[in-house]
Amino acid sequence: MKDQTTTTSDIAGIMLKATNLSHRVDLADDTLTILQGVNLEIKRAESVAIVGRSGSGKTTLLGLLAGLDTPSEGSVELDGATISSLSEDDRARLRAQRVGFVFQSFQLLPALSAIENVMLPLELGGHENPEAKAKDLLVRVGLGERLHHTPRQLSGGEQQRVAIARAFAADPIVLFADEPTGNLDNHTGQAISDLLMALNREQGTTLVMVTHDEHLAARCKRQLHIEAGELSEPATQNAPQAESIA
Amino acid sequence: MGAAKKLSSVRRDWRERDVRVVLAALIVAVATVATIALFASQLQSTLISSASSFLAADRKLEAENGIPVPPEWREEAERRGLKTAEMIEFSTMVFGNDNFQLVAAKAVNDDYPLKGEVEYQLGEDAPRQVSARGPDRGNVWINPRLLRLLDVEIGGSLEIGNKALTVSGLLIREPDGGFSMAALAPRVMMHSDDVAATNVVQQGSRVEYSYLYAGEESDLNAFYRWLEPRLEPSHEWESIRDGEALSQSLLKAERFLLLGGSLAVLLAAVAVAVASRQYAMNQRDTVALLKTLGLSSHGIGQLYIGRLALWGLVGIVGGLLIALPIVWMLNSLVADLLERPVDFRLDILALTPALMTAVVSLFAFAYPPIRRLRNVPAMRVLRSQPGESGREAWLDIGIAVVAVFGLVWLYAREVSLVLALLGGLAALLGILMVLGWLMVIGLRRVSGGGNAWRLALVALYRHRRASLSQIAVFSMTLMLACTLVLVRSSLLDDWQAQLPEDTPNHFLINIAPDAVDDVEDFLQTRSLPLDTLYPMVRGRLTELNDQPVKETVSKDERVGALNRELNLTWMDQLPADNRVVDGEWFEEGQRSGVSVEAELAEKLGLKLGDKLGFTIGSDKVSAEITSIRTVQWDSMKPNFYMAFPPGGALDAMPATWITSFHLPAEQKSELNEFSRKFPTISVLEVDHIIERIRSIVQQVTQAIEAILVLILAAALVVMAAVVSATLQDRQREGALLRTLGGRQSLLVRSTMVEFALLGFFAGVLGVAAAEAAVWALQYRMFEGEFRWHWNVVLSIPLISAVLLSVFGRLQLRPVLEVSPMLLLRRLE
Ligand SMILES: Nc1ncnc2c1ncn2[C@@H]1O[C@H](COP(=O)(O)OP(=O)(O)OP(=O)(O)O)[C@@H](O)[C@H]1O
Ligand SMILES: [Mg+2]
Repeated sequence: MKDQTTTTSDIAGIMLKATNLSHRVDLADDTLTILQGVNLEIKRAESVAIVGRSGSGKTTLLGLLAGLDTPSEGSVELDGATISSLSEDDRARLRAQRVGFVFQSFQLLPALSAIENVMLPLELGGHENPEAKAKDLLVRVGLGERLHHTPRQLSGGEQQRVAIARAFAADPIVLFADEPTGNLDNHTGQAISDLLMALNREQGTTLVMVTHDEHLAARCKRQLHIEAGELSEPATQNAPQAESIA
Repeated sequence: MGAAKKLSSVRRDWRERDVRVVLAALIVAVATVATIALFASQLQSTLISSASSFLAADRKLEAENGIPVPPEWREEAERRGLKTAEMIEFSTMVFGNDNFQLVAAKAVNDDYPLKGEVEYQLGEDAPRQVSARGPDRGNVWINPRLLRLLDVEIGGSLEIGNKALTVSGLLIREPDGGFSMAALAPRVMMHSDDVAATNVVQQGSRVEYSYLYAGEESDLNAFYRWLEPRLEPSHEWESIRDGEALSQSLLKAERFLLLGGSLAVLLAAVAVAVASRQYAMNQRDTVALLKTLGLSSHGIGQLYIGRLALWGLVGIVGGLLIALPIVWMLNSLVADLLERPVDFRLDILALTPALMTAVVSLFAFAYPPIRRLRNVPAMRVLRSQPGESGREAWLDIGIAVVAVFGLVWLYAREVSLVLALLGGLAALLGILMVLGWLMVIGLRRVSGGGNAWRLALVALYRHRRASLSQIAVFSMTLMLACTLVLVRSSLLDDWQAQLPEDTPNHFLINIAPDAVDDVEDFLQTRSLPLDTLYPMVRGRLTELNDQPVKETVSKDERVGALNRELNLTWMDQLPADNRVVDGEWFEEGQRSGVSVEAELAEKLGLKLGDKLGFTIGSDKVSAEITSIRTVQWDSMKPNFYMAFPPGGALDAMPATWITSFHLPAEQKSELNEFSRKFPTISVLEVDHIIERIRSIVQQVTQAIEAILVLILAAALVVMAAVVSATLQDRQREGALLRTLGGRQSLLVRSTMVEFALLGFFAGVLGVAAAEAAVWALQYRMFEGEFRWHWNVVLSIPLISAVLLSVFGRLQLRPVLEVSPMLLLRRLE
């Protein structure tokens, strides 16, 4: 482990902490180890990219960090709460309040319109005026004119913008993204990353992102490499590039 | 409307295809079951009132001893809320213009009939009219033949005893026109208040007092319990269902309707199960997302339970909206047929099974897969999770089986029905397992190639789990539909056979031995085919094994047959529709012995070898029972309780002859000539009764047809549900095949072959299981004989193969019409 983790002494500044995390699944005749002894700390408002080859365990790690799944061994702390030992419903409540998601395949509910998709987490979190806030967010991602269109009527890039608006709707303190530009062309992908980074900075959100997109990874403050279920952090790449909305 | 709320709105749900299928299945189920239940209850009350009108009441008490019953009996009946009416029947001479004739008089009071109507005419060419009561005081309605026999006219008068009465109408049909051998002479109907003035009825003269009762079943039964200890041997209590020609048919119709309803319940359950399972599978992504967004599993549970409740509501309301107009239409059909209005009443109780069907099929079939949605891992939003094949837990299946058969039982209250269906289904599943095994073995080695058949076989093998479950559902559906079709046709055949077109509709009774040849000549010259002539001797059964019969037969088993004269006959050939159930029919040249009708034998406890003693006039005749035979009482042919061999003990007794023949309506006028030529021969006209039975049978037939159509519609919905459940996968596969360069024609052909094979297997299985179920039902419920239905056995597999391959072809349409790229995107 290198400087980043060791220099952190302020516990309150740590947003996400994984300790000795392992994940195994039982297959028909033997056990497959997907993650092995992963340790990691991510500070508040930090942006971290997890990169690695396909099948190396990125998605699995992201799922564990976000509390979507529970590890076979080790623990995950999110904003001071040990989510790996919470019940599924408690984790759900925690997610509703503090976590946002962006997925590679957008994951919008096809039967709901754009604005309804964005309102969903607001309603689940018991927000005062979900409609106004959702509308505001959609305007900010440039979809003010498409509020009542359903996902099928939107392009991939537009759908992802709806998903980003949804991710930020409940004012999360951590945002998880799994290959947010993976399904988009270069140009659109660029626009989406710009949007993501800009909103992230504005809101002061902690961002944890899995990506194959080197440019996008480079825009994050830290890059973590994962290979065959083991995590490493290159010391070199430390200077964040300039971030701006194009 | 909030987004979360909107997630459970029906309008939104309706946009989802699986929900549409679940809702359609529910709606059709509720509609079918409600239609059947409502219509059956309506039909039942209509039929019972039709059948009641065979008695002109619900119950009838006959005093055959010529003594009126105490007036308190009537008061008691009325006190219990029953309606009553009285009638007096006697034979008497009537005098017209210089002519006289023996008639069967029937005097009725103002309340007669309690059920049904009297049909009469004001002149021979006047239109027929119906009346809810008999003739007024001072008037008579007479059999049209009497006009000629007595040479009177409408408006003229005739005399009965000391009283002159005005002929005010021609009697066409009495509601209680069942025929008894006592009423041989032409009918004269009069008012009971006029009887005393005629002076022809005195204590002890041959007269029969009858009392009619109508009301609630429970009141009638309570009254009978009160009455029973007061009855004397000469009193006979009759209810509609006792041995009426029609009651057997009615019972079968009722059972058929129940069977239809039960099958509708089963079909609905299958459709709901299939569609909601598919729905649950497709909802997994949504659930994972909602969980990711922070909805607890409790919240998920609530969301979907709320949705189920909503569906139930939509299913019930929608189903009723369909059922009510159909029932209304069926009712007007029945009304047309009966030529009288049928009051439409909504029997709320009859709706219970429909509501239960909706609720139970939702909770036993839709709920389990949907409940399991709570367990969908949130992780699914990131990567699809293994171990989610959606295989049902065995517990769920157990619950489902118990639920559905509980439902059928609740509905039909017929254990044998439940067992027959359950047995059929079990047989089906057994064969299915064998088939699956054969499929795995047989198809494993087929490998793909550019040939539609090979591709189809490969596809069947690759999707063997799905293929087998599809075959299971298709064959179950086919089994249920076939069962109904088969039972229906054998039921209709049965009825058809019972009353063929040329059913004898007139009896000639009291033919003197020396007139037999003349009668035969008369009828032959008019090309009226005559049924066999039977000799008839009237006598009482007085001794059993040398003991007076009244002592030997206990009071309980007292039967009318002991109180009145029986018709005895002799014959050498067993009539075609009789069957010897015990002993042997007379041998050639046999002179001794007697053959007894089976029901009577059972009632009196008679066995082979018992010695019966008859009193005929002042003579005694005795014979040993040599055979017991069943008789087709509803065949409208002369039937006898006791048959002797020719040349036996009966030969020496004074006999007359009896026969029956079919007289077409347009030759009806020949009867007048016949009566003039043979004034001493009684003609018993039963053509109106037969007409009536026919119309009722026809009415039931119509109902059965209508219900069959509904059930078949339900079956189609099930099929569509199953096919569309696989739609998405198939389209994706098709699109991929095309993307990978598969030729369209190959794709089409292999899909059609695959579905045709599915359909064929399902057809074979379904028909086999249906035959098994029909065999059991026929045996236990309908008491018919089982026959193989080759036309069905052979045609159903072919029909279902064609039908399914067309279904498959239709499914492919979207795959063929758009570019594969677009399709893959749309199916994302
Ligand atoms: N539940 C599971 N059962 C079996 N194998 C699993 C399961 N979850 C993950 N794996 C395996 O673990 C490995 C890591 O999977 P993961 O989805 O985390 O990879 P990834 O790094 O996200 O890959 P990609 O970049 O292709 O998305 C893969 O080999 C995958 O097949
Ligand atoms: Mg991944």
